[in-house]
Amino acid sequence: MPRVKLTEYQAKRILLKDAYNGVHAESGMTPTIGDGKFVIKVDQGIKKRMKRGLVALNAVERDMPSHMNEWGKQGFSSFLIEPMLPHDASEERYISFERVRDGIRVLHAKEGGIEIEEHPEKVESFLIRNADDVKTVAEATGIPADFFDAVLNAFNEQYFAFLELNPLVVQNGKAIPLDAAALVDSAAQFFVNGWNTGDVVKSAAKHDAEAAVETLAATTPASLKLNVINPNGSLFFLLSGGGGSIVIADEAELRGVGKEIGNYGEYSGGPTREETYLYAKEVVKLMLASNAKKKALVIAGGVANFTDVKATFGGIIDALTETGDALRKGNVQVFIRRGGPNEKEGLALMRAFLEEQKILGSVHGSDAVITSAVDDAIDYLS
Amino acid sequence: MKSILEKVKAGETGTIVMGNHQRILQSMLDFDFLSGKSEPSTLAIITGNRKAQKCFWGKKEILIPCYAKVNQVPPEIASKVRWMLNVQSGRRAYETAVQFFDAFPDALGGTIFAENVPEKHATELIARYGSTKLLSGPASVGILVPRHLKVCAIGGISPAQIDEGMLTTEGSIAVVSTSGGMTNELIHGVAQSGKGVSFALAIGGDRFPVASLSQVLAIVEADPGSKALAYFGELGGEDEYEIVELLKTKKFTKPVIAYIAGVIDEAFDEHMQFGHAKALVAKKDESARTKREALRAAGAVAPDTFPEFLEAFKKTEGKDIVAPMSTADDLSGRRESILSTREIIDFEHAPTYVEKGKLVPRKQSFTSQVLTALLGRAPKSETTIAFADAVFSLLIDHGGAVSGAVNTMVTARAGKDMVSSLVSGLLTIGPRFGGAINDAARTWLTGTTSGMSAKEYVETETKAGRLILGIGHKKYRVGIPDPRVAALAQFATLLKSHPRYDFAREIEEVTTAKSGSLILNVDGITAALFTDILIECEGFTETEVRELIDAEFFNALFVIPRSVGFISHFLEQKQNDEGLFRLPEDLLFTRKQGE
Repeated sequence: MPRVKLTEYQAKRILLKDAYNGVHAESGMTPTIGDGKFVIKVDQGIKKRMKRGLVALNAVERDMPSHMNEWGKQGFSSFLIEPMLPHDASEERYISFERVRDGIRVLHAKEGGIEIEEHPEKVESFLIRNADDVKTVAEATGIPADFFDAVLNAFNEQYFAFLELNPLVVQNGKAIPLDAAALVDSAAQFFVNGWNTGDVVKSAAKHDAEAAVETLAATTPASLKLNVINPNGSLFFLLSGGGGSIVIADEAELRGVGKEIGNYGEYSGGPTREETYLYAKEVVKLMLASNAKKKALVIAGGVANFTDVKATFGGIIDALTETGDALRKGNVQVFIRRGGPNEKEGLALMRAFLEEQKILGSVHGSDAVITSAVDDAIDYLS
Repeated sequence: MKSILEKVKAGETGTIVMGNHQRILQSMLDFDFLSGKSEPSTLAIITGNRKAQKCFWGKKEILIPCYAKVNQVPPEIASKVRWMLNVQSGRRAYETAVQFFDAFPDALGGTIFAENVPEKHATELIARYGSTKLLSGPASVGILVPRHLKVCAIGGISPAQIDEGMLTTEGSIAVVSTSGGMTNELIHGVAQSGKGVSFALAIGGDRFPVASLSQVLAIVEADPGSKALAYFGELGGEDEYEIVELLKTKKFTKPVIAYIAGVIDEAFDEHMQFGHAKALVAKKDESARTKREALRAAGAVAPDTFPEFLEAFKKTEGKDIVAPMSTADDLSGRRESILSTREIIDFEHAPTYVEKGKLVPRKQSFTSQVLTALLGRAPKSETTIAFADAVFSLLIDHGGAVSGAVNTMVTARAGKDMVSSLVSGLLTIGPRFGGAINDAARTWLTGTTSGMSAKEYVETETKAGRLILGIGHKKYRVGIPDPRVAALAQFATLLKSHPRYDFAREIEEVTTAKSGSLILNVDGITAALFTDILIECEGFTETEVRELIDAEFFNALFVIPRSVGFISHFLEQKQNDEGLFRLPEDLLFTRKQGE
């Protein structure tokens, strides 16, 4: 996904540069932080940390291991330690920046820590389109101008998509962000020097198949996505195209079998035969692992603009060939609807293969409606 | 003022491809060919490392010119450029799009195909071109005006898809979607309904598409050919509320048939990421069902199922179109050649040499035929033939002392055959001996267009540590003129103007002021006058001359006659056969080892 979460540690390093005195720690590390009072928190892009008990205030160095161990048991592994900043609640502000179509939208509130969606009346909204706007907005919010400028420069130079500082403490003409949440544009990694993929928050543990597809997707210009929904579902999808895949999944929901969907995902953007093979293999593996008595594999999509039907079907056939026996034993039938370049050749190839393997459900081309295959599959299952 | 679709229909379709995507490019050529156009809309490709891309035009192969940079596109092509197909990577899409619009300010728009264009680049493009151009993407499969314009993969890339989508016939339903795949599915559905497409644009699934839904709908509203709008949307994002607003304010008055996908989201407790970047429900009112209902309330047809959606096309008021006879089969069985060439000599019309026991007077001289072969077209002017004839005659030989002749003779004396001896002479030709004509031609052509005076030009070159080829001789100097240069100079009087020759002479004036041996040499004058003659007498453009220079044409003017000279020296050595040649020791200065 283009917008990814940056760690709070890295976001603050970018914003505050050498002035930043936070320390990053991974599970098992015990950095020396010295005397004084600290705030220790989980740094994995988690919302509502305070409420969830993932922040320790006024901690001292010797408290650190026990907090980190406790959070480690909950599956967290990345932490941030900063000196406590004594301040008055009235010094707290809310500010956020988001890249929008015509500039950068700034939301500001004189009270920090608020739930912004629940208090729209307290929030002022500004749009920054050019350098003049930067000055005006800094003045209107009363945020120190040098800090405001520095944040916007960093926001632009490091291709931020979103940045929330809440609370931001303004004290004696100085602004200090206590908490920071940042999204950066992963497509911009080539253009920045402030962060790289290592600074991106690691997402929660995934299903093996999802992780495998994610790894595969990172090495091809084509688009490959997979979400495991119901591991014991009976309806499995090998869909192509972002839009078409939703239409097909919708049909299952409309016909009342939404809960039977084992997986959702799509391949598009002209993957090669080999890439399609590796993707299909993951889906087939998922399907075979399901304990449903009868299963349907729907290989469907719209009329492709340039994804070669014959080449991608070749890859799917390679994956199905490996598991022919298991597919028959698992009462699997395969249903097809697809159009695009080399449609006739691709469909003929697939039909012949499915017949030979005795797993043929139905085969439709671009003259049939996009939902034909999923409809046939639902009929088979019911 | 003409609307953008009127301009397209009036023929403003010239397209430049930034980057190279062979299959998409071929589909655009097939679209043009099957639409009955006399020539491709694609004018050139901006890509490195090649000068031409071979493509099919119908069943015939043609070459589309390639340039490394936009500013190298010659003016006769540049004046026709209206559209950009940008198939560069997400990283390079922004800079190359800006280069394109800087070079072709009259362009109407284009498509950015890449995914992963940084958001900041997309918003910069919106600020620059959002209100002045029709730029679809990033992540768009293109823009289609049936029968007139196809930018990118939209509507498919195989001839069969062009047929099935009825892309060569003007229809009555406009198709718009953020999804590239569904744009094509809708084009297909609209064709099957019998109504056909009037205009189609894939907005692209990125967060910040340059061409906004409002901009595209304004085009559809203004197009008398579009009787209805077919729209495919997804859960997430607020685009559909833009349509609702346009309908409510009567800024869009045509029937809207919409399908909003994503009710599947209701099957799950948590919102999931479906399909495109935008398709994540952030707020409640971005769900598929709510958006459908809002559209219905504003007067749009927004069915619950996809088949009902397709069915609704048939009820629009546009006339049913009759698809033309399938023509895509005409393009079947195409096979790409692996090497392309042109016919150098026409053997089908071999001339008659002797008739009724008498020689037929010769119509074409050898020189004239050599020029036809080299230039790919017959010379038009006697001046050209006479000049080439003079160059060929004067350059046959320049005595046995020159390096190439020496090598030929030494090789012949070593007992080698004709071809080896000739080649050893030819391989001596280079920047210091005989091989400077081509670079001299480049110097004169560049110099006359640089706007610099001869003096400035010489200074620039000297400062950069470069020699000016075509200037200087070992033997001749001011006071001892090269008789060949004097002979060729006579041709200048036959020309109306000779800017390259004048420039060469001005350079000579500057350089001879430094040293008397820095005169215009025979390479230099040949290059200058032949360039002037090609432009004035043969109608070559400067671009065409530059292409000849890039292909090293001008050095042929030396290699051809001097090959005759080398062979003559070879023959003489063989006839005399004085045995192996060896340099006398006393003519060698041998340094001691380590000295």
